[in-house]
This record gives sequence, C-alpha cells and structure tokens, in this order.
Amino acid sequence: MSVIIHPRPSPIAAAMYMLRDLDVDVIILHGPSGCCFGPARLLEKDGVKVFTTALSENELIFGGEKRLRNILKKINELFKPKLIGVVGTCASMIIGENIKRVVEELNLANKTICCNVHSGLGDNTIGAIEVLKEAMNLGIISKEEFERQKYMLEMATLLEKTRGTARLEYIPNSPGDNPKKVAYEIINDIRNNKEVACILNAKKETAFLFADIIIVLNEIKKKIGGKIKFIANLDPNIGLPRIRNYSKIILEELNRRGINIDFITGGLDEYPIAGEKAKEIVLNSSTELAIIAGIPHAVAIEGKVKTIAITSGSRATSNLKSLGYDYVVNEYGAHRVTLGKKYIHRSILGNAIRKIMRDIS
Amino acid sequence: MRSIAIYGKGGIGKSTLASNIAYALSKFGLKVLLIGCDPKSDSTINIIGKHIPSLLDIMKTNKNPSIDMFLFKGSNNISCIEIGGPEPGIGCAGRGIIVGVNYIFKNLNINDYDFIIFDVPADIVCGGLAIVVKEKYAEGVIIVTSDDFMSIYAANNICRGLNTIRVNAFGILYNKSTKNGIKYVEKFSRKVNLPIIGIIPYSEEIISANKMMKTVIEVYPNSNISNIIKSISLSILNIKEGRIPNWLSINELEEIFYENS
Repeated sequence: MSVIIHPRPSPIAAAMYMLRDLDVDVIILHGPSGCCFGPARLLEKDGVKVFTTALSENELIFGGEKRLRNILKKINELFKPKLIGVVGTCASMIIGENIKRVVEELNLANKTICCNVHSGLGDNTIGAIEVLKEAMNLGIISKEEFERQKYMLEMATLLEKTRGTARLEYIPNSPGDNPKKVAYEIINDIRNNKEVACILNAKKETAFLFADIIIVLNEIKKKIGGKIKFIANLDPNIGLPRIRNYSKIILEELNRRGINIDFITGGLDEYPIAGEKAKEIVLNSSTELAIIAGIPHAVAIEGKVKTIAITSGSRATSNLKSLGYDYVVNEYGAHRVTLGKKYIHRSILGNAIRKIMRDIS
Repeated sequence: MRSIAIYGKGGIGKSTLASNIAYALSKFGLKVLLIGCDPKSDSTINIIGKHIPSLLDIMKTNKNPSIDMFLFKGSNNISCIEIGGPEPGIGCAGRGIIVGVNYIFKNLNINDYDFIIFDVPADIVCGGLAIVVKEKYAEGVIIVTSDDFMSIYAANNICRGLNTIRVNAFGILYNKSTKNGIKYVEKFSRKVNLPIIGIIPYSEEIISANKMMKTVIEVYPNSNISNIIKSISLSILNIKEGRIPNWLSINELEEIFYENS
C-alpha cells in the first residue's frame, strides 16, 4: 500500500471544525499545547473558545486526566458553556487517557461531546464522524442527520482519494495560473458570447470567498451582456443550522444584488455529491466555458468543456492542473480569509476581473 | 565499566536476581550501580532495606534534581536509583524510562562505576522499555526465565525484540529450576543460540531474605544458594561478548515442550 508523503489534514482538526459546526461554545484539546495550534487559532477567529490541557512530560508519564479534570472544571465555572467539546490528541490517546470518564466524574456528560481521536487514525473525516456520533448519542442531531453527514464525509474521503490530493503518493505545490491572465480569458469568452456556466461547489464557510465569482460575473453580464448560468450548492434547507445559515446569508446577499441562482445542487456540506449534479447540468447544456469555484475536482468536466477552476491551496491547485483543468486560480488561505466573517469576501480572481472591467469602462 | 540489562517475564525473579548479583559483585570489590526501571520502584529494596524516592517522582516538582536527591547508597556501598513511573493503569511507563534513563546518563558520571545493572520491567513490549539497550546504555541483555511455557514464551519475545533492534544478549539465567525443567530451557537456549549462564534453584532462603528486604548473600552468606549466585555473578563478570539471539515461531516454541526428542 502506498503512503501519501505530503502533509495531510488531521482527524483532530476535522473533529474541531465539526464541533464548531455543532456550535459548541468551547473546545478543549487534551494534549500538549502545540497540538493543532493552527486550526485552534482559526476557530478562535470564528468565535469558539479553544483551550488546551497543555500536557507536558510529567503528564505523559504519570497521566493527564487530573489536569483535564481541573481545566474542564475551571472552564465550566468561568464561561458556563452550554455545549463543550473535548478532543484527544496523539499524545493523550497513545497513553490511554479516558476523556469520557473525566467528563462523567464532573457530571458534564450531558453537555460535553467527547472525541477520542488522534492523527494516526487515517482519514481526517474519521475525526468529524466521531464527533457526529457523539452528538447523535447526546441527542444534538438525529440519527437520520448523522447518517446523511456520515455518508457525505465518506463520499468526501472517496473524492479525495480518487480525484483529490489523496490520490497520489506525492503532489507538489503550484502557485496556479496568473489571476489577471485568467480574468482576461473569462472576460473575452463572455464578450465573444460564449455560453458560460458558473458553478459554486464550495465546502461550508469557504463559500463566503468562492461566491464572489458569482458577483463579479454578474457585474460583467450587467456591463457587457453574456450568456451566464449560475449553479450553486446553496440549499438553505440542508445541513446543520450553522451551515444552513451560511447558505441563507449568501443567497440573501446575492438576492440583494439581483442575482438569481439558476440551479441549486445541494447544501454546503454536500459538495462531494453536488458536483455530480452540476456536471450533469453542464453536460446537458451547450456550455462552452465552465468556471468552477470551491472544490472543482468534484465537478469532473475537465476535457469536456473549457474549464477554469478556482480553489484554495497550492497542492490542490497543482492537483487540478494535473487532472487537466485548463486554468487554475489559487485563492490563498480560504479558511483564513473566511473564518469569523459572515459576508461574501472579495476574492483574488474577483478583484483581477473588477480591475480589468474598470479599465474597460 | 561493564553494564547489563536484565529482562524477563513479570514475576520471574528479575529484581531479586538483580539485587543479589549487584551484592555479589560488590563483594568482589566492584563499585556497583543498580538502576531499577520498574514503575513499582522495587528493584533496590533488598539493597537499601526500604523503598527509595524515585527519580521521576522527584522530577515532577524539580526538573533538574541533583544526583544526591535520587541516588542512594545501600548495603556494601552499592549505589541505587529507582526511575519509577506512573501508577498502574495510567500514563506511560515506557516514556518514563526514556526520560529517567536519559536524565541519569546526562548527569551521572557512569565511569565512576565498575558495573551497572538495569532491572527492566517485563519483556520488551515497547520502544520505551527497550531504550536501555537500544541506546547502548547497557552493553547487552541477560534474559531470566523459568522452565514453564509462558516464561520461555516471554524469553522468546525478548529474543525477537533484541533481534529486531540488533542488540546483543549475554545469555540466559534459568531461575526457579525444577527437576525435569532443564531440558526445556536447554532446548530453548540451543535454538535461540544463547548460553545458559547459570541455574538458580527454587530457594526458601531467597524467600526468607526477601521478607527481610535483604539479599540472600547478606543473610545466608555460606548457603548453597549464595554460592550459586556468587558463581553466576563471576561468570557474568567474565563474559567477554554477547550475540544477537535467534527467535522462534510459535510452532517451534511449542515443539520444545511437545516433541519426544
């Protein structure tokens, strides 16, 4: 079995993001203080209080449950959270810490989601599924919702392994194509009256960045005309309340700008399967240019029409290039840009298009 | 300076033998250091006469303890250290041994000693328990076994571990020998290619001395068992080199007990 040797996302981070989606007030990482520092800081930006039990050599030898007990007790008294998430780390799980026992001893079991994960478990989605299972056991989500979410996460894993950055042993980084050059491609194709499909197939909060392409394409349309249809996974009736709300906010903003989405392909957590629907719509039309933002590799239309992929991450960019997408733009740090914001954020490609459009006028 | 690590199945008598060998070597005029690596901290009781504070317990509150805080002198001026570790069921004993042994060897001048004995808990079940030999703190291993299947099974597991990490063993100590058991241990010894360094019979004197928290040589210096341990200690002292042992499959191991040869 080949091993993927480039860095991969961690089940611990996936568990933390899922806890955020479930609207926990605090997350406690049971491990050394450096564990998942990056995701922890990003989630703090998003309003979640993140803590660490800061296990040191002493606790790794003698056990850290006492430390967890003290910190959990203190946080509960200090912040009076309605919902708490406690997530394991490599260090605490390897030495066999029992998070649940500590939570039960403190009588916090009815409002604490315990997640026994570490980074050696394999796919990052394992962490998210663990959190969902515990949330179901606590009655926070229904069994049906758990099964739906689990299926989506399994499909997301499959997508990564077949067409994403987990499909090869090593994928190098790539800066992607020059946004200005891609902006000209888009404007010229619209000006030449080519039929364009703009597909938003985004994952959760990153839609706040990737939806910008819808706004700029609509601005072009208003200015120079063009045949553009909008396809988006923005169903406001699917997913956890927080995720539904993202769709609602984006749709309202688009609505205010007079933009109508022609085809809704699913919810913001359905990107692994919504891409298939988008593909069908595009291939059953006379689309000549498809602009796909978010998780473009879920929309497998490269080679069938001219494609411009907009994604985040230099490895994802490189992967899309090697799959055969004609142009790929890297929107650097989509999570970093969108966490903590609840409005459509201007994107790199969007700004490149705006600048050219200003010059045209 | 010579050094050995004693491994073997739990309860096989490693700590008793380690303290008795340490005492015998000290009687030969050697400056001996006995390092207990078991979280129970009971390797040095027979030398000191009581439990001593463990290094890791001290390090809980003092990251850099001085040598005199964790090194204790006992019978016949033998130096003793207990590394210690977590209480049963929590934490990680292996990590404790890594931290403790590294600290000792960073801070103690080991060349002050003629002979160092490590008493290591159980068999080499994880990297932490192997650190003593993996990092060459001990030159090689002595495996303690009795003649029962599970004990030889554990001894074989240690051989496997040593083979994997390419560490030498000096030989086997056959403890609690029985009338008919020698044939099994001899077969095992041949198959893993390790010599039997010595045979220690079951001894009421050892049990009696253990109750007094002393070595048998100290309590019954002229007894037969004391002479056996002294002789074994001399053999250990004279071992020039060890060898990487072979290890047996479960079928080969079972054949030791069931074949008619």
